[in-house]
Amino acid sequence: MAAPPRHSTMLSISNGGTPQSGPNDKQTQQQAQTLPQSPGLRVPSNRKTIYDRHLNRSRNAELSRASFAYLFGEMVTYAQRRVTGIQDLEKRLNEQGYPLGLRLLDLLFYRSTSTSSSALSSSSTSSSPPNRPLRIITLLHLIHGPLWRLLFGRSADALEHSVSPDTPNEYMITDNDPLVNTYISVPREMSMLNCAAFVAGIIEGVCDGCGFETKVSAHNQPTEMWPSRTVFLVRFGDSVMEREKVLERSGVK
Amino acid sequence: MTSPGDATPVKPPPSFSPGVARVASPSRYPEEHESTQSIDVQLAETQSASSSTPPLSATISDLPNRSGSPHSRSGRSSTPHLARSSIGSPFDGRADGSEDIRSLIIRSFSPTIAVHASEDTDDLVRNKGFKGGFWELIRPFGETVSGKVVIRDSIGSSRAWEDYGVRFVSFKGIGKATPSRDSGPLAQMEEVLKKQLDSSEGLMGASIRTKDVLGFPAATPLFKSYLQQLLCAAPAAPHETFGHPVANVIAISSRNPAPLESLRQLYADSTTGDRHLPDWVHQEYLRYYVLVHDEERDDITESTKLYDQMKRHFGLHCHLLRLRSSQCVVTDDDSVQVPRCEWLSPSEHLSGAETLVDLGTDGTPYLFDSDATAIRAFIRELVVQSVIPFMENKVAVWNDQVASRRRGISGRFISMSKRWAFGSSSRSSMGSSGGGNYDSTQHFYTPDSPEAVLRKMADFAFMLRDWKLSTSTYEMIRSDFGNDKAWKYHAGAHEMCAVSMLLNPLATSAKIKLDSVDQLFETACYSYLTRCSDAPHALRCLSLAVELLKSRGGSATESAAKWAMRVMDFGLVGSVGQILYTERVAACYASKTPVGAAKWGGRRRKAGMWSTLAADQWLKAGKPTLASACLEEAERLYADVLEADGVFPMPEMQNFVDNLRHAIKVEYLEARGFDARDDSPTEDPLDTEEISEKLDKRNHRRSLIGLPVQLDAGALNPQGPRDPENPNDDFERA
Amino acid sequence: MSYYFTILSPTDTPLFNIAFGTSKGGGDGIARFRFPETAQYMNQFIIHSSLDILEEAQWTNGAMYLKHIDTYPPAAAYISAFLTPSGARFLLLHQPPHLPSSTSTGSGLGSSSLLGSAGSTTRASSSSVAANPTSPQTEEAVRQFMNEVYENYVKTAMSPFYKQGMEIKSPVFRTRVTAAGKKWL
Repeated sequence: MAAPPRHSTMLSISNGGTPQSGPNDKQTQQQAQTLPQSPGLRVPSNRKTIYDRHLNRSRNAELSRASFAYLFGEMVTYAQRRVTGIQDLEKRLNEQGYPLGLRLLDLLFYRSTSTSSSALSSSSTSSSPPNRPLRIITLLHLIHGPLWRLLFGRSADALEHSVSPDTPNEYMITDNDPLVNTYISVPREMSMLNCAAFVAGIIEGVCDGCGFETKVSAHNQPTEMWPSRTVFLVRFGDSVMEREKVLERSGVK
Repeated sequence: MTSPGDATPVKPPPSFSPGVARVASPSRYPEEHESTQSIDVQLAETQSASSSTPPLSATISDLPNRSGSPHSRSGRSSTPHLARSSIGSPFDGRADGSEDIRSLIIRSFSPTIAVHASEDTDDLVRNKGFKGGFWELIRPFGETVSGKVVIRDSIGSSRAWEDYGVRFVSFKGIGKATPSRDSGPLAQMEEVLKKQLDSSEGLMGASIRTKDVLGFPAATPLFKSYLQQLLCAAPAAPHETFGHPVANVIAISSRNPAPLESLRQLYADSTTGDRHLPDWVHQEYLRYYVLVHDEERDDITESTKLYDQMKRHFGLHCHLLRLRSSQCVVTDDDSVQVPRCEWLSPSEHLSGAETLVDLGTDGTPYLFDSDATAIRAFIRELVVQSVIPFMENKVAVWNDQVASRRRGISGRFISMSKRWAFGSSSRSSMGSSGGGNYDSTQHFYTPDSPEAVLRKMADFAFMLRDWKLSTSTYEMIRSDFGNDKAWKYHAGAHEMCAVSMLLNPLATSAKIKLDSVDQLFETACYSYLTRCSDAPHALRCLSLAVELLKSRGGSATESAAKWAMRVMDFGLVGSVGQILYTERVAACYASKTPVGAAKWGGRRRKAGMWSTLAADQWLKAGKPTLASACLEEAERLYADVLEADGVFPMPEMQNFVDNLRHAIKVEYLEARGFDARDDSPTEDPLDTEEISEKLDKRNHRRSLIGLPVQLDAGALNPQGPRDPENPNDDFERA
Repeated sequence: MSYYFTILSPTDTPLFNIAFGTSKGGGDGIARFRFPETAQYMNQFIIHSSLDILEEAQWTNGAMYLKHIDTYPPAAAYISAFLTPSGARFLLLHQPPHLPSSTSTGSGLGSSSLLGSAGSTTRASSSSVAANPTSPQTEEAVRQFMNEVYENYVKTAMSPFYKQGMEIKSPVFRTRVTAAGKKWL
């Protein structure tokens, strides 16, 4: 097994230089998993752990676009190593986005519960906590609006439902100019690639976290005006569609 | 008069078939996988044409699809029960044996017919080996009237019933055993249970409960027997008329020297003599005269002549029953076994157990075929031509004369005035004035007071299975009893109101407001228990609530479970009864099947928990066989909600179940003389840790949210990368 | 009041467990459940069985805090639930204390005396507001507790060393939950 190096690097960083054993030592890995918590963990000199930090502090913090571009560029490069093809690469980008989606979901709701000026839904002005999405449409609005604003500072550009009777489970979210693709030009031989597969992964994470089995993919749909226009195709699983029917009947919004 | 073609008694259809929907847990798992993966497979095919049902791990690594949420998981819990898509039908429980229980409950409220036989008749029958006389001879045949019985309801539509029966009681017995204030019958029932259990652990184990009979939505035979005793335990009481005779069968035999005088004497006995019924029994019941002709000693022409005379004197309600007077033994050519009495009260069970032992020689329950046929024909004629029409007629008359007045405007006005006038001067034409008819010292209404008549009418309607009419009638009178502080009547009317509501097949579950049913039971139970300290009736009321709500299916099953818990909570049952009701709670939850495409509404975990608890209690009671049956049932119930390896997510639960399983095994084997101590796999102290470790692994193996196949997880996985071909490892190696 | 608090992953794996008693009204913060010491598994059984109800309730009620969703009458136990948007379930089992009058400490659930007394205790204690698990005050207190735990849970989930579905072993998290329990319950 030749997996270790990256991990042990990370571990040693956070463990404050504690000598790390080999990758096969499951015990230490186990400990490392729970790193901020395990007894041997390094507590900063000010005795403040992440639990002492307010979650809303960084809410309006701006990040340099350059650092994002560098970071994302690195991620693409990293994902690209020894891939078998474009699909494979997109799958990896998707997988990188997925856990981010899960985490964003919790954060998104936390931030909208803890502050009365709800960033979650522009329409609702009440201070009561927002509801978990139960129906597809509410979920998609959540992604289209609040999630996009959290990530990119603006809403997505369109939300459409498939008109084909064969695919009632397909929805499309359109971003005319995705931030992730702004600084990326795809080589000709990889023209099918869309690095927004990373964002598709985030969407998938959000949907799955809410209990909606989904597959999301990113597709290039350039227009005259928006050369890097990207469509995220959201396909819900059968169980979701069945549940949707039941909820429809029982009038759940 | 013998109607032909009614040879065999028609038993109610045994919907309780063993092994229904019973799937051994281990064999389930493969199927489970199939259904779990179906969506993944479909998606896989649409995307990349990589077909041919991939194994679990392959599916996961092939697809970036995480379907590990409980939502999709609950979606796969497809059980055999689901195939039966019976949503909201009042007979929802048909396939799980609750139809059987329904029929049992319905039959338990069958008309009571008193039997008053002359000495010579009883002598004749005693010669045939029936020590109890004529009553004992015909009693078992009354429980199932052969052939269909057609009954017309109050609006004139008829319905045929195959499981109709009547209950014969000895005339002398009615009302003599005063309703006991203590829990006598309950203690007896517990005793019977213990006896049955002891015998079941021995040779008769198979007859009480064989393994394959169990299947939780259904009732165990042990519980069925318990319920039957409970339903017929209550002696005749003033507050309900089910135990009051609808008819009195007056029997003489052809040996009687002065037949007509004897009949008159018997009649007089029953109305005025010292044997007459208690004051609270309505005297207007049907008299039915039977001449038992001794085929072997007497001349039929004489008897026929006498019979014609009887008809002239007493009208049409007469029957000539031709019996042979000699005793029948097994070896006789045309001997048939007398059917066993289904409805035995607990005390009869207790005394019956002894007689069964020394039964061997003298009390042979055999009859000549001709006798059995004659008795069946007699009972059919009695019921179909006399008793049912009599009851139908009474219901119609009372409905017309008493009930409709109450229902009408004047009735409402009277009840209003009753409330306002404090019973002072508002004695109405019907004679219903506030509290006037209730004798609060002796605790009963005079039988001809409107309250008592209406109650009787409702009971008649109930026994005629016209539940719509009985519901409305109970509904009408139930508050009156409260006004009069006639608490037992109050309780009874509330109880039966709820019961008939639940039995009415026309009222769909949507129409019935379960809340109001619950409220009725609540009131009934409170009145029985707190106001009257009548534990047997309270237990009957709650048990009816449990079984009928359970048979309704859907959300009613939750109420059913609640009432079953209430039974235990009130301490109405003994230690074995506790276990039976624990099983019932499990059965209630198990019968709540998931509904609809999304398959919500199952209560598998709850059912599994209660079943496990029952197993634990059986073990503590020293019945490892029953305990193991319950535990197996629990495993079957849990199979749907646990991961495929059947491991509980929570370590303490797993620990408990493991230990329980082991203890049951040990006791079971020890009871059979084996020593099972040597294999104790679950006893080592590291157990818990092992389990949690196992959990972790499973956790990572399954396609969960936050699956470690992402980003930086591969090496953190305790199992390590399993598959060298897996591109993810590649990814990590980068 | 005695409390048993559990966080379950979307696949029912327990992520975090803690048992504590009330600190209000002179409580010492130690859990005293009605089950004998040997039967503490009952808490897990009850919690686990309430998932039946939860799986149903989560699709009819979109709120994160679902209030009390289930009861276990024989032990007078109530279960309140809180669902995080990403599918983790916070379940709180609360049980009013034994009244001094009921002395039975029977061997298990089987004995009728224990069940009987438990029932009578329910009825008796439901009259006092403080111990009433369904009162609005209780619901509100539990909601506050849940929200506080949620905040800490989000912080845990944000850690790059934590993945959804992993047990939460942080002593800091535990302290935080204990503090929240002390504060609200």
